Amino acid sequence: MSDNTLSSTVKAEWIKFHTVRSTILGVAVTFVLTIGLGALITWTVRSHYHEMNPLRKITFDPVSTSLGGTLFAQFAIGVIGVLFITSEYSSGSIRTTLAAVPNRLRLAVSKLIILIASMFVISEIAVFITFLLGQSIFSGVVPTASLSSGSVLRSVILAGVYLTLLAVFGYSLGLILRQSAACISVFTSILLILPIVMFLLPQSWQTSYSKYEPSALGQAMMSPTPASNSFGSATASLILISYVIVFLGVGVTLLQRRDA
Amino acid sequence: MLKVEHLTKQYGSTTAVDDLNFEVKSGVVTGFLGPNGSGKSTTMRIILGLDHPSKGRATVNGQNYADLKSPLREVGALLDAKAVHPGRTARNHLRSLATSNQIKLSRVDEVLEFTGITSVANKRVGGFSLGMSQRLGIAAALLGDPAVLLFDEPVNGLDPEGIRWIREFFRSLAAEGRTVFVSSHLMSEMAVSADQIIVIGRGKFITQGSVDDLTKTAQGSVLVRTSDPTLLQQVLLSHGAQVQATNESMLTVSGLSSDEVGKIAFASGLTLYELTPQRASLEEVFMDLTADSLDFAHRQQAAADE
Repeated sequence: MSDNTLSSTVKAEWIKFHTVRSTILGVAVTFVLTIGLGALITWTVRSHYHEMNPLRKITFDPVSTSLGGTLFAQFAIGVIGVLFITSEYSSGSIRTTLAAVPNRLRLAVSKLIILIASMFVISEIAVFITFLLGQSIFSGVVPTASLSSGSVLRSVILAGVYLTLLAVFGYSLGLILRQSAACISVFTSILLILPIVMFLLPQSWQTSYSKYEPSALGQAMMSPTPASNSFGSATASLILISYVIVFLGVGVTLLQRRDA
Repeated sequence: MLKVEHLTKQYGSTTAVDDLNFEVKSGVVTGFLGPNGSGKSTTMRIILGLDHPSKGRATVNGQNYADLKSPLREVGALLDAKAVHPGRTARNHLRSLATSNQIKLSRVDEVLEFTGITSVANKRVGGFSLGMSQRLGIAAALLGDPAVLLFDEPVNGLDPEGIRWIREFFRSLAAEGRTVFVSSHLMSEMAVSADQIIVIGRGKFITQGSVDDLTKTAQGSVLVRTSDPTLLQQVLLSHGAQVQATNESMLTVSGLSSDEVGKIAFASGLTLYELTPQRASLEEVFMDLTADSLDFAHRQQAAADE
């Protein structure tokens, strides 16, 4: 009789992950928002480019503009991460899951592996498609960027990393709060409401702190050249990763301590 | 074999399970009986490592559940039949469980077949009736062919045919030498489906024994009809019995056997028209045993229901 291993738990979690409609739907919405809204944004920019003032034309970034859809897709992908764990609590199946895999750390790691692997692939496919589509829409009218440039390639890859990290962030919130609705409102608040709150603060605070917001970090990750008052892409990535690690650490600790 | 030692579980100031000690042996069906809210489910969750005990421990074959290397191959459990992701099909649910414990996937079809849900195996569980969900839960419990099986209130929601099926099923599992531990709040159900019974109330151990043992220890009563009930009542009271007048000529006597009542009546020169020993039903025994342990609120509810 062979013992359970990490690999058997990972395989089981993969079956659970892809056999529910919410995952499939979430992935579809992620694609539609990233690519569809990306195309819409680039079309709009293309048709209004000639009206743009010269200063904005100088700072215009075809890379982050074409990746604009990710700012909407981040909610869809966050929900995939949230539901991967909260659906276990809402249905009660967490008890069946933990009876089959009593090692809770192994369970949490297995889910994390599935989530990161699948969301990284999905996100990278989506961002590369939207980037290439955007550049072809811009082509001839608006300056375009090419993947042959190292910094452009890095920005596109990091856009996918950003989405993957948000899926893990959603998952971590799910481990902590265990309720889908609570998680989704907290997730949305952090990404949408936090910048608004920041906007109401004194100017000097805004300058010092707004670059730490997750959405600002995302913007920094997908810009080939750092904007003023923002981190470089490497620093931004590391800060966002450390946020996610903190939440994940709290979530996994709670999973191990609490009754299921 | 299951063993529970000094098991205690507190939620804040409430004690759900209070210093429980018992052993569940293999080869028989053991009923775990108690009123609703007496701590049966909490005990089962602790046995499965889902809840952490405040004190004491529960072991399966001498090991903590969390230390079992391949738990589904050693313990099968059905706690809540509806606790399955509603969007997943029955087959995928079982496939994921089998995979997690390295159980052959052919076993999934076997348990589907055995529980009679092969025809709905590819349907989403959300549309299942409670009875179908129970069958799926049983299929999941049997997946690893475990020697120890736990069922929490398994007959809830089953139709009479399903209930008969599940009783025979428990018997056959026990006959194969497995440990079968079944909780219920219904004494009548346990009386027919269990060999051994463990009774708890308010988280505390009350008694343990075979169905026969439990009814024997219970006080029976004697119905007696006589020509002069008033006199007989006086005589019986002087012998230390409790006597209630059921109607003009009938008395219900407890504390004495029917033989003793007959002798006393003969010695007093009274004619008896009827002398009937009444054996306490298991239901009454249960009510008797757990009456003290029921919450006040519980009793009020019972009164309101009548």
